[in-house]
Amino acid sequence: MLKHLGWLIFAVSLQAADSFDATRPFLHQYCQPCHTGSQPAAHLNIDSIKPDVWPRLAARVRNSEMPPRGTPAPPLNERQAFLKTIDEALHAEACAAPAHPIASPLRRLNRDEYTATIRDLLDTHTNAGRDLPADAAGGQGFDNAAEVLVISPVLAEKYLAAAKESLDFAVRNPQARKRIGIVEPSADLPPEDAARKILRAFLPRAFRHPVPDAEMDPFLALFRDAQTRRQTFDASVSYMLRGVLMSPKFLFMLERPDDYALASRLSYFLLGSMPDDKLFEAAAQNKLHDPDTLRKETARLLASPKSMDFIDRFVTQWLGTRELGREFIPDPTVFPQYAKNLELQGDIRLQPTVFFQNMLAANDPLTDLIDSRWTMVTQVLARFYGFEGALVPKDKGEQPHRVELPPDSHRGGLLGMSAVLAVSSYPYRTSPVLRGKFVLDALLGTPPLPPPPNVPALEEHKEGHPKTMRERLAQHRADPVCAGCHSSIDPLGFALENYNALGQWRTEDAGNPIDNTGELPDGTRFSGPEELKAVLMQRKDLFVRNLTARMLGYALGRGLTPSDFCTVDDIARQLKDNGYKSQTLIEGLVMSSVFRNQ
Amino acid sequence: MRISRRTLLKGAGASLALPWLEVMQAAAPPKLPVRLAFLYMPNGVNVNAWSPEGTGRDFKLSPTLEPLANLKDRLIVPQGLWNAAAKDGDGHYVKESAILTSTRISKTLGEDINSHGISMDQIAAQKAGAATPIPSLELGIAPEATGVDNNVGYTRLYASHIAWASPTTPLAREINPRSVYERLFHAADPQTSAARQDALLLDRVLEDAKSLQSNLGQADRHRIDEYLTTVRSLEERTQRSTSKTGLKWKRRAPIAATAPPEEDPKEYPDKVRLMLDMIALAFRTDTTRIATFMFGNAVSNVNFRFLEGVTGAHHDMSHHSNDADKLRQYQLINRWHVAQYAYLLNKLSEAKEADTNVLDQSIIVFASALSDGNSHNPHKLPIVLAGKAGGRLNSGQALDYTADTPLANLWLSVLSAFGTPVESFADSTGPLPNILA
Repeated sequence: MLKHLGWLIFAVSLQAADSFDATRPFLHQYCQPCHTGSQPAAHLNIDSIKPDVWPRLAARVRNSEMPPRGTPAPPLNERQAFLKTIDEALHAEACAAPAHPIASPLRRLNRDEYTATIRDLLDTHTNAGRDLPADAAGGQGFDNAAEVLVISPVLAEKYLAAAKESLDFAVRNPQARKRIGIVEPSADLPPEDAARKILRAFLPRAFRHPVPDAEMDPFLALFRDAQTRRQTFDASVSYMLRGVLMSPKFLFMLERPDDYALASRLSYFLLGSMPDDKLFEAAAQNKLHDPDTLRKETARLLASPKSMDFIDRFVTQWLGTRELGREFIPDPTVFPQYAKNLELQGDIRLQPTVFFQNMLAANDPLTDLIDSRWTMVTQVLARFYGFEGALVPKDKGEQPHRVELPPDSHRGGLLGMSAVLAVSSYPYRTSPVLRGKFVLDALLGTPPLPPPPNVPALEEHKEGHPKTMRERLAQHRADPVCAGCHSSIDPLGFALENYNALGQWRTEDAGNPIDNTGELPDGTRFSGPEELKAVLMQRKDLFVRNLTARMLGYALGRGLTPSDFCTVDDIARQLKDNGYKSQTLIEGLVMSSVFRNQ
Repeated sequence: MRISRRTLLKGAGASLALPWLEVMQAAAPPKLPVRLAFLYMPNGVNVNAWSPEGTGRDFKLSPTLEPLANLKDRLIVPQGLWNAAAKDGDGHYVKESAILTSTRISKTLGEDINSHGISMDQIAAQKAGAATPIPSLELGIAPEATGVDNNVGYTRLYASHIAWASPTTPLAREINPRSVYERLFHAADPQTSAARQDALLLDRVLEDAKSLQSNLGQADRHRIDEYLTTVRSLEERTQRSTSKTGLKWKRRAPIAATAPPEEDPKEYPDKVRLMLDMIALAFRTDTTRIATFMFGNAVSNVNFRFLEGVTGAHHDMSHHSNDADKLRQYQLINRWHVAQYAYLLNKLSEAKEADTNVLDQSIIVFASALSDGNSHNPHKLPIVLAGKAGGRLNSGQALDYTADTPLANLWLSVLSAFGTPVESFADSTGPLPNILA
């Protein structure tokens, strides 16, 4: 209900003050021939543009897909002015939209968070969530989005088994007993009092919030049940705590307007797990919401080794490299060396994550993700990329090291990394289409439109097969239905053709020299990855905005709503103002009102 | 917005049967149980090699269906069916996720996940699942598809689910055969004292949750309620397994006679075989009577190079662009799936039960949600039924229905053959003629 009301207000406010008016002359001059009347092209009539169409429309003009080649092209300054008008109008609308148009459902811990939370709660190192079903992704593409963390009936059964296994292990482990706060009953401490004492220490940590004594009763009752069955003290404690781990107060992120909820939000964002003692303390003292404390705690958590969990989950889901080695396996017949070398597999998979981590630690600019003069390699990976051995110190060569790139290494930024180049290919060959789509979607946040439904099959070439992928795709683009999008997708991928399906550099493919040239519909030409990255650098604000939006979705654990893009724009502007320093992104997200007051 | 129970029932796609039907069924229970499995193949078929030649009893199997040759008199190949509600939207998700609901899923990146129906297998499970220790099994090979598809605007959650317990509850799948085995083992042979303790514990969990209910907003309460419902049903199920009168169920074969499957098989074909073995085991022991299995998620790109004559991945080959070599490989991939289906059927056929066998006491459906994968064609879906449902199915024929007959009509007939009839299902217009004996 809330949600629909929100959209209504949003829509009304759009009509009330159409800040898109200044786009009319451009639309009439360049778009009118096709986009008017009762049957406008792509069902888009410029006289009745729906509010949600503007971002997509802007993306297509920005990517030079529209106006299409062969129609009068707007001069660059007109196009930029047009896009600026749309951006500003969208920003104004986003900031005027109600802050919480969607009452997002209560978020349960996802499988990774469950595992990490059990680890920290019990101080054990078992994979507690191993048998839980994997979670789907939603919103900005992450598996912590509340709306897709659905409740499958099998969950209760799985939670029960996982809790039993974890606790039976923990009560036998001295380190875990200490962390849980297990006290032995004695002459002065009857068993039930000992159980109460344990609960008093354990429940607030498990529920991530102070717990009144009255709420201990159902769990104490479990302890008594077990004692009545003449179970040992330890077995009774295990049984009692099993109940705690089945409680929705443990399994769900309960949102309350207090510092404890903020502590949880911050901790699950930056550590992927429950708050640590210091964070609990800051919440208990009601200090966490204080901007200085919040900033300090953010920096402290980010510097913690556990922040690698956050970075890995974010980066691998953003780039799709999570699939590498799981569902996506480079073909062992094409890449036998890779198939045999487990170390190489691990190093390739981890490279984007450690790069991101190092960039954040050094507060280097986010634009290093587009292109950089450094990267992170192990000795194995350095050899795979053909770097000189001296770059990585021999004694700790199995650890990733930050190295300055040799000239002509072609390894700067994300697009120089094997993990990224592999998952945007087929397991056995490259695909300029998939790589072009990757650049548009994952990097720039302007995914191409889907192919029209029931698109007819390509007619077989009358004079035999086209020889190369490039010829085949050229034939594809000759079809006007396909050309609309593929003329801006394929060239981006062509520029990366020097990398094979595992990201190794090549100058020929099956005896044919690699043609790495691409030309966008607006006439922008480039050849090879360096020139492509230079083109992407010109669009760095688009890239940074996309990255910001994705990370805001991750931080909030839900899909973004129109008003969230007001926050995104604000942070993107802060980033632009201070040279895209990467820590500004994290700080900007945490300090945003939407994160602090979710 | 959250859905009230009322709209949930209205949108359920199935109007539940009148009570007298259930009474009738209870009055004359079939001697042996009937089982129902659905095997889902992603990415459609090479249509040139799918359709059998001729109709009626004298049909000739196509090259793709040839692995079923020894089972021909136990098959039904219905042709001409489709799910009209999913005819457009996008190439895959809208069709594949709705194959058992015959509805049109909501287009969303996550916020409005809705299948607008309960899947056919879950209607069966809701009506008959309580008769066995596990109401139904949902199995797969690929982990949950990750990410959202910004290209078409759907969360990939839809790619990984065909079984829907409610319009907003896609069922999680087991993808590890060893976990399935352990679950079957535990369910078919519960240790009474442990089960009692579990039931008591779950009861206390429900009690603890009462302190939570009062101070929650409505949206929050909905999710908690969903969770507590699963806790409650687990509690009831556990309770039932400990009481002598609660469950009349008797296992029909010991689980332990079958060795547990390998812990973590690496190769795709091994994983598939082990999972099919688990369906056979579950059916033979009668631990459940309902199962769905996904060979892969929608848009699956499993690399089929392990298969002689194939050099590419599944989705890649399905977009054959009429290239002769790709079409050839596409067909080999389809045929491989059919051969796995045949493997399960033969296994069930070898499992004797009274004077018959488990296959003849089953309905095992194999289908894809697309015909030609290259054009994402939703017409004339490739479907095979096997088994005789204890004599309720008129097996051994190919049937050609009027083009674009609702797929829901088939599900109506299947539910009837399984013994859980409904009056209507999604856009059904009536049971398919000639299918029921």
